[in-house]
Amino acid sequence: MNGVPSRVVLFIGAVLAAVTACDRLPGMPSEVAPPSIGSEAWTRATFNTYCRGCHASGADGASIPLMDRSYWTFASDERVIAATANGQGVMMPAFSQSAGGPFTDDEVMALARGMRGVFGGSSGAGISATIVPGDRANGEGLFANACAPCHRDGAPGGSLVDPAFLALVSDQGLWASTLAGRAVLGMPAWNHAMPSRPSGLTQEEAADIIAFVASHRAAKKDAPP
Amino acid sequence: MKWARVTIAWLESRSGLGAFIKPLMSHRVPASAKWWYVFGSATLMFFVIQVVTGVCLATVYAPSAAEAWASLRYIDSEVPAGWLIRAIHGWSSNAMVVMMAIHGLQVFLHASYKYPRELNWITGVFLLLVVLGLAFTGQVMRWDQDAYWGLGIGASIVDRVPLIGSQMRDLVLGGPIIGGETLNRFFALHVFILPGMAIGLLGLHLALIMRHGISEMPRAGERVDPATYTPAYEARMEREGVPFHPDASQRDMVFCGACLIALIVLAAVYGPFGPGAQPDPTLIDTNPRPDYPFMWIFGAVSLLPPSSETVVMLAAPALLVVWLLLVPLLGRAGERAPSRRPGMMLAAALAVIGIASLTWEGMTSPWSPVMDAWSSLPTPGAMVRGRKALEVQGAIVFQYAQCRNCHALDGEGGRRGPELDSIATRMTPEQLTRQVQQGGGNMPAYGKNLSSAQMSALVSFLATLKPSDEAPADIPGALLPLPSR
Ligand code: HEC
Ligand code: HEC
Ligand code: HEC
Repeated sequence: MNGVPSRVVLFIGAVLAAVTACDRLPGMPSEVAPPSIGSEAWTRATFNTYCRGCHASGADGASIPLMDRSYWTFASDERVIAATANGQGVMMPAFSQSAGGPFTDDEVMALARGMRGVFGGSSGAGISATIVPGDRANGEGLFANACAPCHRDGAPGGSLVDPAFLALVSDQGLWASTLAGRAVLGMPAWNHAMPSRPSGLTQEEAADIIAFVASHRAAKKDAPP
Repeated sequence: MKWARVTIAWLESRSGLGAFIKPLMSHRVPASAKWWYVFGSATLMFFVIQVVTGVCLATVYAPSAAEAWASLRYIDSEVPAGWLIRAIHGWSSNAMVVMMAIHGLQVFLHASYKYPRELNWITGVFLLLVVLGLAFTGQVMRWDQDAYWGLGIGASIVDRVPLIGSQMRDLVLGGPIIGGETLNRFFALHVFILPGMAIGLLGLHLALIMRHGISEMPRAGERVDPATYTPAYEARMEREGVPFHPDASQRDMVFCGACLIALIVLAAVYGPFGPGAQPDPTLIDTNPRPDYPFMWIFGAVSLLPPSSETVVMLAAPALLVVWLLLVPLLGRAGERAPSRRPGMMLAAALAVIGIASLTWEGMTSPWSPVMDAWSSLPTPGAMVRGRKALEVQGAIVFQYAQCRNCHALDGEGGRRGPELDSIATRMTPEQLTRQVQQGGGNMPAYGKNLSSAQMSALVSFLATLKPSDEAPADIPGALLPLPSR
């Protein structure tokens, strides 16, 4: 054999040996250090990265206003944790790792508690965070009274009984948006005055109204494939 | 050492292996075949590396949609040096494509494809296609978001084939959508079918090289004449040729050694490719980036007007392949020297410059999505205020479907696609629906990824995006009818 190739072979062997012997090479994929969770800075940063796009405050953002205090007057930690971890079956993404999202269970819990600290306060207004069953027939009248002025077909708030709209929200979502309201957009929160409801809604009234609204869902739910 | 000699002699007498290899090593090659001729061997070396590392990876990789991603993470973090093997496999695959292109280019420049080596070239073209197939299916093996949406865009190209498009798509994906069967199908392609084809073609390619010998360096004025070429070549080899080993093989080995070292350094420093984010059919990856060998196609797509896309995406590659196959058949005789073939040189230069600049285009300018825009940038208040319930839901769809990553609203968001602040003045609801369903340019086709309710909410939201003093695009009557599902 000629001299050059054998020297090359030796050299390659040496490089290979060096590469495999060394366990900290720049290309080795590294584990990311877990961020310190639970602090206010962490809560804000996490919320701003993962949630603010849909849940901003004021007129910004399109979904339930988690940055508004009104949401936290009835929301419970369990509700927030459940929704954050597993989504709502609609366009709310599931964020827990067990559902394919980025957060551990601890992070979900820390985020829920942190948001209450940063945006809200304690609930305890005696209204359920989770939807309660209501009476559809009773709701029809209440809706005509309290909601229809703004949510009639063609009214500024837009129809709530449109099947396409209802296909995109869960009953729980209706509950939360009805109770939280969007003050800046002109949607009163549950404990604010509405036409013919000067003192806002009671839990039973809200439940009846939503039972009525939800009864317009198309029989087969039009879920994303 | 007697037993060793006896064993070898026994093996030789029973198998005839030595008698087979000896002429391979000693066949005569032109003395002028210097460093120009090393690229083919380097391509072969990368292929061998691919086979070896690929077999290693296949022992651990789990080709099921549920486990593939996790098994790659397992290879990276638990298997000793597993990450390095993945890195070598990934880098070597790109290197092989590059080396193959250089080898092909060299053959083209020197017109070595002329008589009697036409079939060498043609098997080479098929090898190139098979290797590109391996590169593409290999990217799918990562089964991350890049793979998922790269596949989605690939499938939408196949889908456009006239008449048989949807059948072809079903064949490729194992059904109308990307699912568990898709990965199995691509795994079979990647580890059985395509490598089998590659090995067969490679055997043929090498056998043809042995049969016709290696071409000499071209000299201006020396024409290839099929009537006299072969006897003259053989006589010249008798007179001036040198044995392949060690005269030519030693250059091959030096070059391959250098390539191998470069490969290992690249793999060790830059690590394996992906896997990126886990694929989630409900989250559309807005930055599906193909691997390097396909980057230029995406670059081309980003520059094309959408109307010409179908034609260009389907017809251009087919025409290119047909042309490559015809090159040796149409130009089997005549001058080989580059200086006497200015037209061909121009074609080669244009191809190289074109592919290089399209690759650059694909890697840079149009790829500026903001990856977390969908979850971090709220819909601007002015676009929510005064909207109806369904339109507000459409704004959520806009976030949820990650449109925002590529499309800015009120100056914030991705810049991959045009800003949509006043889209309603440019497009009707029908056009909006078609744009979202079929994509176009570098916009993914959302097709069935959005339900009909999501689609109508989204379009009703987009239809509100116009300056308050401007008329909407010619909107015929009410909202579009819901697309049937
Ligand atoms: C793509 C938009 C989007 C993003 C991003 C998003 N959400 Fe949601 N979220 C929604 C939608 C839509 C709903 C209402 C779903 C319904 O109708 O039930 C919702 C509902 C919720 C609810 C339930 C409210 C209730 O009381 O029932 C909580 C809590 C929530 N989101 C928390 C979060 C958190 C925390 C994040 C960030 C980690 C987040 N969301 C990110 C869209 C989003
Ligand atoms: C003073 C007018 C007004 C009244 C009264 C009113 N709403 Fe609204 N509502 C709005 C506006 C404005 C919006 C924000 C735009 C939108 O989302 O439709 C809204 C939004 C909503 C939404 C969220 C829609 C979405 O897209 O997520 C729900 C749910 C809702 N209202 C339910 C009710 C119910 C139930 C009542 C009666 C108890 C009611 N509203 C009374 C004006 C009103
Ligand atoms: C991967 C980035 C990307 C994503 C995600 C994306 N688009 Fe696009 N979009 C583009 C590009 C690039 C174009 C320009 C296409 C072309 O060349 O015509 C475009 C064009 C458009 C246009 C036409 C704009 C015009 O002025 O002609 C509309 C409307 C549109 N997109 C809406 C959407 C919607 C709605 C979504 C979400 C469902 C979305 N896009 C998601 C990249 C994207």
